[in-house]
Amino acid sequence: MRKSRLTTGIVATLVLASTAACGSGSGTDDDGKLTFMFRGGEDEKAAYQEAIDRFSEETGVEVEVIVTDADQYATKLQAAISGNNVPDVFYIEQANLQSYVTSGVLLDITDHVEAAGVDLDNLWEYGVNSYRYDGTLQGTPDGALYGLPKDVGPFAMGYNKTMLEAEGIELPSPDEPYTWDEWLDVLKKVTKDTDGNNEVDQWGTGLNVQWNMQGFAWSNGADWTNEDRTEVTVDTPEMAEALQYIADLTTVDEVTPNAEQAATLDTYQRWMEGELAFFPVGPWDVSVYNELDFDYDLIPFPAGSTGEPATWVGSLGIGVSATTAMPEEAAELVTYLSADETAQQTLVDAGIQVPNLKDMAAEWAAEEGTSPANRQEFLDIVEDYGRPMPAAMTYGAAWYDEMWTNIQPVLDGQQTAEEYLAEVEPRMQALLDESNDQAEQAAAASAN
Amino acid sequence: MAGTASRLHRSENRWALAFVAAPVIGYLLFTLYPVCFAVYASLTNWNGLGVMRFVGLDNYVKLLSDANFLESLYNTFFYMIGIPIGLGMSLALAVAMNRKIVGLTAFRTIYYVPVISSLAAIAILWQWAYNGDFGLVNQALALVGIDGPNWLASTVWAKPAIILMAIWKGLGYSMILYLAAIQSVPRSLYEAAQLDGANGWQRFRTITLPMVRPVTFFLVVTNVIGGAQIFTEINIMTPSGGPEYSTASAVWHIWRQAFRYQQMGYATAMAIVLGLLILIITLIQFSLNRRNSFAID
Repeated sequence: MRKSRLTTGIVATLVLASTAACGSGSGTDDDGKLTFMFRGGEDEKAAYQEAIDRFSEETGVEVEVIVTDADQYATKLQAAISGNNVPDVFYIEQANLQSYVTSGVLLDITDHVEAAGVDLDNLWEYGVNSYRYDGTLQGTPDGALYGLPKDVGPFAMGYNKTMLEAEGIELPSPDEPYTWDEWLDVLKKVTKDTDGNNEVDQWGTGLNVQWNMQGFAWSNGADWTNEDRTEVTVDTPEMAEALQYIADLTTVDEVTPNAEQAATLDTYQRWMEGELAFFPVGPWDVSVYNELDFDYDLIPFPAGSTGEPATWVGSLGIGVSATTAMPEEAAELVTYLSADETAQQTLVDAGIQVPNLKDMAAEWAAEEGTSPANRQEFLDIVEDYGRPMPAAMTYGAAWYDEMWTNIQPVLDGQQTAEEYLAEVEPRMQALLDESNDQAEQAAAASAN
Repeated sequence: MAGTASRLHRSENRWALAFVAAPVIGYLLFTLYPVCFAVYASLTNWNGLGVMRFVGLDNYVKLLSDANFLESLYNTFFYMIGIPIGLGMSLALAVAMNRKIVGLTAFRTIYYVPVISSLAAIAILWQWAYNGDFGLVNQALALVGIDGPNWLASTVWAKPAIILMAIWKGLGYSMILYLAAIQSVPRSLYEAAQLDGANGWQRFRTITLPMVRPVTFFLVVTNVIGGAQIFTEINIMTPSGGPEYSTASAVWHIWRQAFRYQQMGYATAMAIVLGLLILIITLIQFSLNRRNSFAID
């Protein structure tokens, strides 16, 4: 009697321990529910919940939603994946796509999307292609589809219309970008002390080099890598000129809040307080900026030596887990969120993104009396002159982040852009080589 | 009779084995297996998701020339400057708290509150306190005519700022342990010293200090181990590793490699190096302690 109780106890312990150790190996439990993991602010959560509720109503598929803050998302997803507990549907970043595909985390949804009758031609090409991968290059038009865009994120320049009008400055044209010199002139004109206490309290702009420099560099003919993404090309006169231009805005021309002022209240807050004349605007900002006390509108970024404006367009994708128990329903949720008209309308109405559907976007841009008035600029960027972030389609972004780690002395005017770029390029190259090696090895390993 | 006794023995033995098995199995499953796995992972090129490819010692060779890793190691050891300062202060506090003063319980509570507060919440509060213009720290400095730096944005001041916070956070814990140690020093020693004409400082130096030595040793060892793993406050107060990587700690760097750049194999190798460093330092501390130890019979 006693012996058997003891044996039972030991057996039970072992069973428990072993299930704990290798539990949930199957990934998703087949309980007829989808889990969807995403990230976003309050407005986004509410809008997505609304769209998902309608999806459940229409299809009868229950969806369990897991939301995280933006900066916790990557860690949480990685933990879920290594714990073999991958959500059925989740957001994917462009830069992670390749490693997720080669590691067998993402499901190839090409056929599902086709079967669902999604008109891919009506979605932004850039958005869709971002999630195509043919085994060697990401973004190629004939690669297999591993996700659909949740949105595309064109990054335009905005200006404070109320301020420029008050200063008697001619409003910038939405079609003709400023040259750098023209822009600098305007910036100088608006930078001043408005309340007579000898302290400047209105500035031309206030840029964050890490997020705002791309447009300046590209429109000046510079780029971060060659076309194959194998060689770092930041040590060029064009890149140096662009970086120096941005640094000089603060240290030489003094048309931005200085480092101390920016540390007190960052330039994003100052723009919202109406203290800056120009500041970049993304679609995700619109719902907030529309509540501000001043009018604003969109223009292209000032153009460098090429005369063409440039900027980046981001994208976040929605993918399906390769181990999901309900691949069809999961893919259906993806196509619903990305390409369904009603769902898109809900998200667009919430002011958090531009429409994914081209025809809807055209109508949206043509609407009268909207704020910002020049919504078309967003669409031009997506369709015409926006580019992916330099590291969006490489295997990891370590090489690119290296550019910003030690850049502060340049921004403080203690080092020239030229010197810095010459110094940082070899370090970036080493990291890029490494990530390309890894991509190759990972692809080779998954092919075996 | 003999038969029942041995049956009882056997049964007791089995139960004993079962109880012993619980922690042993737990250790094998949750400690030894992960450690072995980590050692293997550190020898592979692995992104944390897919196939692990064996690369031998490549990761270890690489970390020797990884400037950011070396910088983060340097930062981590730099933070440990705070340990002797913190211990000195908490011993002084413990001596003070050992006297009969008004509001003793209130003081003890005040110094202990940071210990039980959430580190994340504290880090956010200190981040505000260190703000260059509106921060409490600089406002206080301005009262005495000092124009304080923009603490967390300065390559020079960011590390001291974090050290200061860590000292403040750890003070209460060390103080409580010291207090307990001081209170268990036999009164007779002090009385004898007093009869011999020892003054307050002599009594402290020759009686209190040696008598609390075991506690000091314990605190140094645990503080060094804990300090080597500093992460939360770094990640919250300087999310990008501080100006020019000047606040990045080793664990922070490892975490970033593992989760942001998906270099799980490489990150594991760095974690193992860090673990070995901690082990070596702790062994050195133990041997130093043995050499200087004494006992009162």
